[in-house]
Amino acid sequence: MNLGEFARKRLGFASAALMAVALLATPQSGYAQATPRLDAQAENVAREDIPESQAAEPSTLDVAPGAGEVARLGPEWIKGQPALGGVNFQDQYSPNGEYALWMHNAILLPLITFICLLVLGLLLYVVVRFNRRRNTVPSRTAHNTVIEVVWTLVPVLVLVFIAIPSITLLARQYQAAPEDALTVKVTGYQWYWGYTYPDNGGFEVISNMLPPEQAIERGEPAILAVDNRLVVPAGEPIRIQTTGADVIHSFAIPSMWFKIDAVPGRLNERVLYIEEPGIYYGQCSELCGARHAYMPIAVEALPRPQFDAWVLAQGGTLGGPDLPTAPAPRQEPESSVSGAPGAGVPEPLEDPAAGPNSPTAPAPLSPPGVTAGPTA
Amino acid sequence: MNRTAQFPEKNGRVALILLAVAAGMLALGFASVPLYRLFCQVTGFGGTTQRATLAESVTAEKLAQSAGGRTISVRFDGNVSAGMPWTFGPEQVTQTVAIGRRNMALFSAKNNSSVPVTGTASFNVEPEQAGPYFNKIQCFCFTEQTLQPGQAVDMPVIYYVDPKALDDPDMKGVEQITLSYTFHRKG
Amino acid sequence: MATTADHFQAHADEHHHDADHKPGFFARWFMSTNHKDIGTLYLIFAIFAGVIGGAISGVMRAELADPGIQVLTPLVGWLYNETDLDQALHMWNVLITAHGLIMVFFMVMPAMIGGFGNWFIPLMIGAPDMAFPRMNNVSFWLTFVAFISLLLSSFVPGGTGLGAGTGWTVYAPLSTSGSVGPAVDFAIFSLHLAGAGSILGAINFITTILNMRAPGMTLHKMPLFVWSVLVTAFLLLLALPVLAAAITMLLTDRNFGTTFFDPAGGGDPVLYQHLFWFFGHPEVYIMILPGFGMISQIIATFSRKPVFGYLGMAYAMVAIGVVGFVVWAHHMYVVGLNVNTKMYFTAATMVIAVPTGIKIFSWIATMWGGSLEFKSPMVWALGFIFLFTVGGVTGVVLANGGIDDYMHDTYYVVAHFHYVLSLGAVFALFAGFYYWFPKMSGRMHSEMLAHIHFWIFFVGVNMIFFPMHFLGMDGMPRRIPDYPAAYAYWNQFATVGYWIMAGSMLVFFANMLYAFTAGKKAAPNYWGEGATTLEWTLTSPPPYHQFETLPVIDDVDHDHGGTVAPA
Repeated sequence: MNLGEFARKRLGFASAALMAVALLATPQSGYAQATPRLDAQAENVAREDIPESQAAEPSTLDVAPGAGEVARLGPEWIKGQPALGGVNFQDQYSPNGEYALWMHNAILLPLITFICLLVLGLLLYVVVRFNRRRNTVPSRTAHNTVIEVVWTLVPVLVLVFIAIPSITLLARQYQAAPEDALTVKVTGYQWYWGYTYPDNGGFEVISNMLPPEQAIERGEPAILAVDNRLVVPAGEPIRIQTTGADVIHSFAIPSMWFKIDAVPGRLNERVLYIEEPGIYYGQCSELCGARHAYMPIAVEALPRPQFDAWVLAQGGTLGGPDLPTAPAPRQEPESSVSGAPGAGVPEPLEDPAAGPNSPTAPAPLSPPGVTAGPTA
Repeated sequence: MNRTAQFPEKNGRVALILLAVAAGMLALGFASVPLYRLFCQVTGFGGTTQRATLAESVTAEKLAQSAGGRTISVRFDGNVSAGMPWTFGPEQVTQTVAIGRRNMALFSAKNNSSVPVTGTASFNVEPEQAGPYFNKIQCFCFTEQTLQPGQAVDMPVIYYVDPKALDDPDMKGVEQITLSYTFHRKG
Repeated sequence: MATTADHFQAHADEHHHDADHKPGFFARWFMSTNHKDIGTLYLIFAIFAGVIGGAISGVMRAELADPGIQVLTPLVGWLYNETDLDQALHMWNVLITAHGLIMVFFMVMPAMIGGFGNWFIPLMIGAPDMAFPRMNNVSFWLTFVAFISLLLSSFVPGGTGLGAGTGWTVYAPLSTSGSVGPAVDFAIFSLHLAGAGSILGAINFITTILNMRAPGMTLHKMPLFVWSVLVTAFLLLLALPVLAAAITMLLTDRNFGTTFFDPAGGGDPVLYQHLFWFFGHPEVYIMILPGFGMISQIIATFSRKPVFGYLGMAYAMVAIGVVGFVVWAHHMYVVGLNVNTKMYFTAATMVIAVPTGIKIFSWIATMWGGSLEFKSPMVWALGFIFLFTVGGVTGVVLANGGIDDYMHDTYYVVAHFHYVLSLGAVFALFAGFYYWFPKMSGRMHSEMLAHIHFWIFFVGVNMIFFPMHFLGMDGMPRRIPDYPAAYAYWNQFATVGYWIMAGSMLVFFANMLYAFTAGKKAAPNYWGEGATTLEWTLTSPPPYHQFETLPVIDDVDHDHGGTVAPA
């Protein structure tokens, strides 16, 4: 490979990236074909729907394990995953992700490509023009104040230009979630994820990697597929809160441009907004010990009605966070089963009623005055 | 023979100064632990909450009343760290409180082991910029807590949200503050 | 007063017997106080460590060639007689940790600062030796023992398996409660020793450069390599003690029940990251600044021109050093920083692009109008400029805190820092090596082999690291031994690149063999009139003790830093 080839490669890389922007402009085409199947599923779910009144009563929530399967989307719904031999970003399915991708592809990538080509061009020029054969007598020029000021100030201006969308992107990523946004607490364990739904009764879904053979059987990518996905509603803001149970993990979904560390002893929060139903994969992104490679993240975004049905099937409750709940007991590590090469065999769902029905949990106390604080 | 011999004093002085600089940086490295804690406590960095006295809360409440009684939602979260044999969590998921008004939230904790266990809680609020405005007057996290085997207790926290939050542009759009605790086994 | 190369030559010959009186083998190499001998020791040590670090990356590339675990299982079977999969996975973490620490602390730093710094700083400023020759020796042996300690850590328990598997960043709590056993203690001890050695070295360099310059060699006449080592030494002096404090606290957290970084006692694991990167970011400039200095010397030599914008070049390095201390949290964008902090670190980080740009453009301007000769050091230097630019611009991308929500901890970051280090620092090292090897050894290497080495190495490393941009953009996290099948293509490609790169290293060693067996004797100034700094006034190799009579630097300002006036 010589320099010229190298330059062409970069150009190819740039044009491929620009093509991705074009593709992004028409994300709906794939979705439109898939819609009918989704409706059919909605009907299935509707039959199993539990009346609202019952749902609020914890004692009726003893749903058989595996009920979570009702809402499981098939592999045809996989949207956020790496492309085979890809040279580009994963397609983005959140507004912030689209903005960030635009910023990279429309501003940063052309800019850095230009700078590299400029430097390469200048280097090639001096090599050709000022080699010893063509230029036997070197000049003694060692100063040129004007050009030195120019190459100091122009980069400053370029950086200020970059800073504008950069600051905008940051501001968007830090927009606070609305009060009524669904909250999911993500807990990183060595080496699996726990997803708790405090607004829905506080049940925790434990998510282990599927052994590669099982993943392939299900038509899902090995190393990315999990037994129990993080199920969330599509088309609404979700408050993702992360914490680590043992060491630092990092919760990442590339197709959402989303990454936030799960640090033990503290809670982190970001807003996740998934535009459309689908399956989106990610992987733990902070070194967390031996099986760091084997704690994938799979998000299943469902339309709100299906999501509600799924929550009920898990033994959860609907109707907002203001219901009294008791804490779920801490989950013991699920992945200590030695099986190659994964974090363990797929576990049946944790007893979904473990939270509210746990015998160890204290009887719910009457909630302290919701708006009337003690005046002492 | 060796020219260094001409400079030993001068070289030694420079080396001593540099050694002092290195030692100073080393000291600064160690000092960073208390300094960082102090920095977080003062600025609310990392979502560190504030401690307030009852008198301060009374002032805040008066201030809030004159500003018009806006409310904010507060969410509660509880965790236990690895190796902590407790069950711990909030008894209410959220509360809607008037800004500036004192409020109490309860957490429940139970020792599931057969030995007495002492725990301490680490805590922070999210979004982080709420840290300087989230005041605790009384909290189980101020001291260590010991639970006998099988003992279950309710742990109160009395808090208020400082009305100054309304003037902070960074707090615009913050509709809910999450107060999170993690209990760790002590010793 | 003007002096000439001939004058020095004559002078050196006159005192030949005195100057070349060398101690016996053991005293010379194990108790050495001679800056050139210590420099040689550092260079041999760095090559040795580089071979080990490079071999480890070979194991890593072989494992990553295909999805699944292929190489690690037999490796732990062979090394430790273990068959457990977790042991194999832990082995991966041990490999990445060792690769990172070895390349940073035992290859790049010893070669740049210990090797070339020791060899040429006294020569370039006209000093007879370093200010503290015995301390210089202590520095080297501390580094050596540090390396042994790191290697030993691989054979003691470190949690899931043998060895320290924390990553070179040694983040708490993975490195404290997450890694039971003495391996991490050994690794931390290794960092302590290497750090102590480097701090002593930094004190030595600063004192030497400030106090022992020849008459007339003002700060603003020093060659840029001397400037670069001066700035580097200050970075070492300010940054390393902070690392020492941080890892000492890790050690006490691990062994003596303190809770500096443990929330159970009111500590904060995020504080460790702040402290680590307060050291870690200056550290990356420590690794590249001496390279900048060497490239400046080489470009000027082979362009037969003084360095363009000498003062700008010197103060750009100072600026990089200063700004390097206030950008550390860009390594921690996803740890849970608030928006204002992230905006500050985004802006501050991008500022570094300005002095870096000044350097790139000044190198090109140095060549502009020059009379360029493409000897091997120059070719490596040209490669450096281009590849460092590629690595630098991806740094501008990563500087954006919002973009980093995707890029953080992906292979894009791996590609970025290998472009500035593996392709930047290492190209600078090879450029410097070919530039000064005949000066150090007295033997000419083969220019043809050096060129072949360059081209194969260039192809190889670009094949390894360029596709890593693609992998990162496709979302592949770093530090994983096994990956989804989608990433197989470019990983395989990169592994092929590794073997090409490894092949080029055979050419390098063949070249060394050639030089020592059949290489022509090197003249004092074998690069010709472009080479104007003081080391070219001495024989190749220089006398055992040089400059016993002070060289006097012409006081006419030549704009290119500390040259001896032409006759």
